[in-house]
Amino acid sequence: MSAQDAIIEVDGRRIECPPGATVLSALEQAGLDVPSGCRAGTCKKCMVQADGPAPAAAQRGLRAQLADQGFFLACQACPADPPAQATVRLRDPRGPAPVSAHVNGIDAVAPDVARIFLTVEAELPYRPGQYVDVLHPSGATRSYSLASLPEDGRLEMHVRRVPNGQVSGWLHGLDPGDELRLRGPFGLCYYVDDAPAQRLLLIGAGTGLAPLVGIARSALACGHTGPIDLVHGGLTPERLYLRDELGALAEQHPSLRVHHCVLRDATEREHQGALDEVALRVAGPLAETRAYLCGDDAIVRTLQRGLFLAGLPSGEIHADPFEPARPAGAPG
Amino acid sequence: MSLYERLGGEPAFTAAVDEFYRRMLLDERVAHFFADVDMQGQIAKQKAFLTFVTGGPAEYTGEDMRTAHAHLKSRGIDDEHVDVVIEHLGATLIGLGASQDDVAEVAQLAESVRADVLGR
Repeated sequence: MSAQDAIIEVDGRRIECPPGATVLSALEQAGLDVPSGCRAGTCKKCMVQADGPAPAAAQRGLRAQLADQGFFLACQACPADPPAQATVRLRDPRGPAPVSAHVNGIDAVAPDVARIFLTVEAELPYRPGQYVDVLHPSGATRSYSLASLPEDGRLEMHVRRVPNGQVSGWLHGLDPGDELRLRGPFGLCYYVDDAPAQRLLLIGAGTGLAPLVGIARSALACGHTGPIDLVHGGLTPERLYLRDELGALAEQHPSLRVHHCVLRDATEREHQGALDEVALRVAGPLAETRAYLCGDDAIVRTLQRGLFLAGLPSGEIHADPFEPARPAGAPG
Repeated sequence: MSLYERLGGEPAFTAAVDEFYRRMLLDERVAHFFADVDMQGQIAKQKAFLTFVTGGPAEYTGEDMRTAHAHLKSRGIDDEHVDVVIEHLGATLIGLGASQDDVAEVAQLAESVRADVLGR
């Protein structure tokens, strides 16, 4: 190796990256299989995640959450070229190691929804709205988004009991003090404070409320000045939960407005109709708006499409797919 | 100077690809092909395509295009659908400030992709 080579550390290997070479070409040269497409920084197929500092020039055009988590485009990174970065460490493709957690409390908040609080002994640096994978003793895993803020000192998840659901049924039966294991955090659906005056439009169905609560609370904690519209949808009024708590939060923060939407049996407290239609109606003009969408895959797709066709730029629509298609090099 | 640069480069194309994709979703002749795709992923791919056909920084391999569209063959993708895409491509570029001559040039380049998309 010459003095000018940079080093790429990946999965216990050290790969030399000579001047002029990209991280993508160096990884390929070393026989690693990295997906790639345009090789010009446009298609984003070769995105990898750094563990530590990422080559900043290779983060151009990525959304703030990706850059914030060290993602960069392997085809655009030339770490040996000035300004040289001696070492680029890539995140372990197996993802973070599981950590142990204890149940701190379980509240039934709706007929089939429990709010579960967990304390984690190890460090789990997360951003509200990200999710963790809960590991069932059988090996099955399920993803749950976090409604809490790190300063709460405990994680908060909202778990709907799925009929015959192995993991959700088990979680509902846990008692305070019980131990479980989880892995994370994952996901890009969280608040970043790059545009504090923007209007935030948070739309979710069912337990999709959990990440929205996390995002709203973290935006308020960061001093977000723009209005925040939170729209929670459910089948009927009794399926909507945490209403008192959301009402109290809105009272404390006049910039936060909470809207409820049901498909049927609406009272004067709810809008009635399909969530995407109601959300677009209460949202009004979409200029200077950033949207976060949470819920099952079908509703998120419908919302995404509705907002996009109504004129919201695709770059302002944030949603984690229910079964996340993780970017290349991201934890699998 | 490439058409890509003349039309404003990366920032202009970020907005233009949204417009291009909106046109496709609203056109019932092709919308059904996009019913179940991941929107953000599709927009990234189309941005690479728009960048390529206007001479911007994107490499293109016919093989990629072939693989990406193979599953649409059984769903009846045909010449008329490629025509629709080229039509929206032209309208999007005009919206960005391209001339008719520019559009004709781009259409010619897009034609070269037709056989790959249709798996011929």
